[in-house]
Amino acid sequence: SKASRMEASCLELALEGERLCKAGDCRAGVSFFEAAVQVGTEDLKTLSAIYSQLGNAYFYLHEYAKALEYHHHDLTLARTIGDLLGEAKASGNLGNTLKVLGNFEEAIVCCQRHLDISRELNDKVGEARALYNLGNVYHSKGKNVASAGTHDPGELPDDVKNALQKAANYYEENLTIVTKLGDRAAQGRAFGNLGNTHYLLGNFRSAVLAHEQRLLIAKEFGDRSAERRAYSNLGNAYIFLGEFETASEYYKRTLQLARQLKDRAVEAQACYSLGNTYTLLQDYEKAIDYHLKHLVIAQELNDKIGEGRACWSLGNAYTALGNHDQAMHFAERHLEISREVGDRSGELTARLNLSDLQMVLGLSYSTNNSMMSESHVVDNSLNGTRPRVGRRHSMENMELMKLTPEKVQNWN
Amino acid sequence: SQPLSGRQAAELQSKVVPSKQILHSDNMEMEPETMETKSVTDYFSKLHMGSLVYSCTSKRKNK
Repeated sequence: SKASRMEASCLELALEGERLCKAGDCRAGVSFFEAAVQVGTEDLKTLSAIYSQLGNAYFYLHEYAKALEYHHHDLTLARTIGDLLGEAKASGNLGNTLKVLGNFEEAIVCCQRHLDISRELNDKVGEARALYNLGNVYHSKGKNVASAGTHDPGELPDDVKNALQKAANYYEENLTIVTKLGDRAAQGRAFGNLGNTHYLLGNFRSAVLAHEQRLLIAKEFGDRSAERRAYSNLGNAYIFLGEFETASEYYKRTLQLARQLKDRAVEAQACYSLGNTYTLLQDYEKAIDYHLKHLVIAQELNDKIGEGRACWSLGNAYTALGNHDQAMHFAERHLEISREVGDRSGELTARLNLSDLQMVLGLSYSTNNSMMSESHVVDNSLNGTRPRVGRRHSMENMELMKLTPEKVQNWN
Repeated sequence: SQPLSGRQAAELQSKVVPSKQILHSDNMEMEPETMETKSVTDYFSKLHMGSLVYSCTSKRKNK
């Protein structure tokens, strides 16, 4: 009959979509799933499965609005046909998508629904997964609010602290279940994110303990990406413990793995972290070496923001070594790039660095009127409303604060 | 042009020693999300199309 031919065609298209997504080609998979939807089916459970997979494919393709749409269709359908397990799954997926979109309150409702149904069905695996998702939503919520401010880990407003503490609790609850279930992979994920939550809360020792567990499990699985993540996170935690030597060792492992995995962006980040670590160790030669490596990759990847950061760091390191010519060169590059990318705060930093360097070098300002005429702008922006920017930028502002602008004027 | 002042150079140097806070990039490495998965084959048994399903899957195996 025509109807059964239609069903067969829909199924075949969906199966091909599944195969393609499993093989990692989500883009092609999406085409087959969408064709399957076009053909249509009378079977609502099949349709629900197609919607769900379309949602996930779009999620992996970072097309979250589409992912949201299909997971929503799936949820509606699952409710209509009274498929409780299907509803739980759709709620979880919808929750994850809402989290990425920054809609934390609705994400929490959805993930909580996933949790409630899993408990109702006595589905331990589902319960654990819902707890992990809830942890992730609260972590993102906390981090999101935190990144809008200018504080450091450990110095958090109450709402941020509450969200992060909840995240930690959910990860712990998840760990209890997945440990009982003997699911090492799930333990690895929970330890990693628990470690990052402790890090943001300023519990650096706990962060180290969690990331050490994550590292152990990554090695068990031979999962080198996870291993690299753990090294990087361990490095970050040791920085805040003031153990810079240890941090540098972990960043070096990160760098080694980034090179093995041929991930240039991660390699650049590792070099940047190492440059900063050696600056903290006051070994400026090594700092310069790593910052130059970072600079080369940033240029290669056409990462202007990274390039600007590299120039800023190089300017600082050369200044520390007393190599003012090189410092000047990089401060000028920093200024150029900040202008190019429209980074106002970077531009102000670069201007002040330059005027300070020029002061030290005893250069005449008369050759550069434009710079001095704008130093009032710098003053005003420091005393008045500072732009709300990221933490890194806020630190640049703090560096600025120490550079009493009055001195520049007196010199002139 | 004025001579380089040692005092100022030292001052400048002390200013550029960064706080460890500059390191706190937003570069925390998170673990991946886990999505719940459904498959059309999960529901084969519940479809009232036994022979059709059979023909679908066997065709696939032959490919």
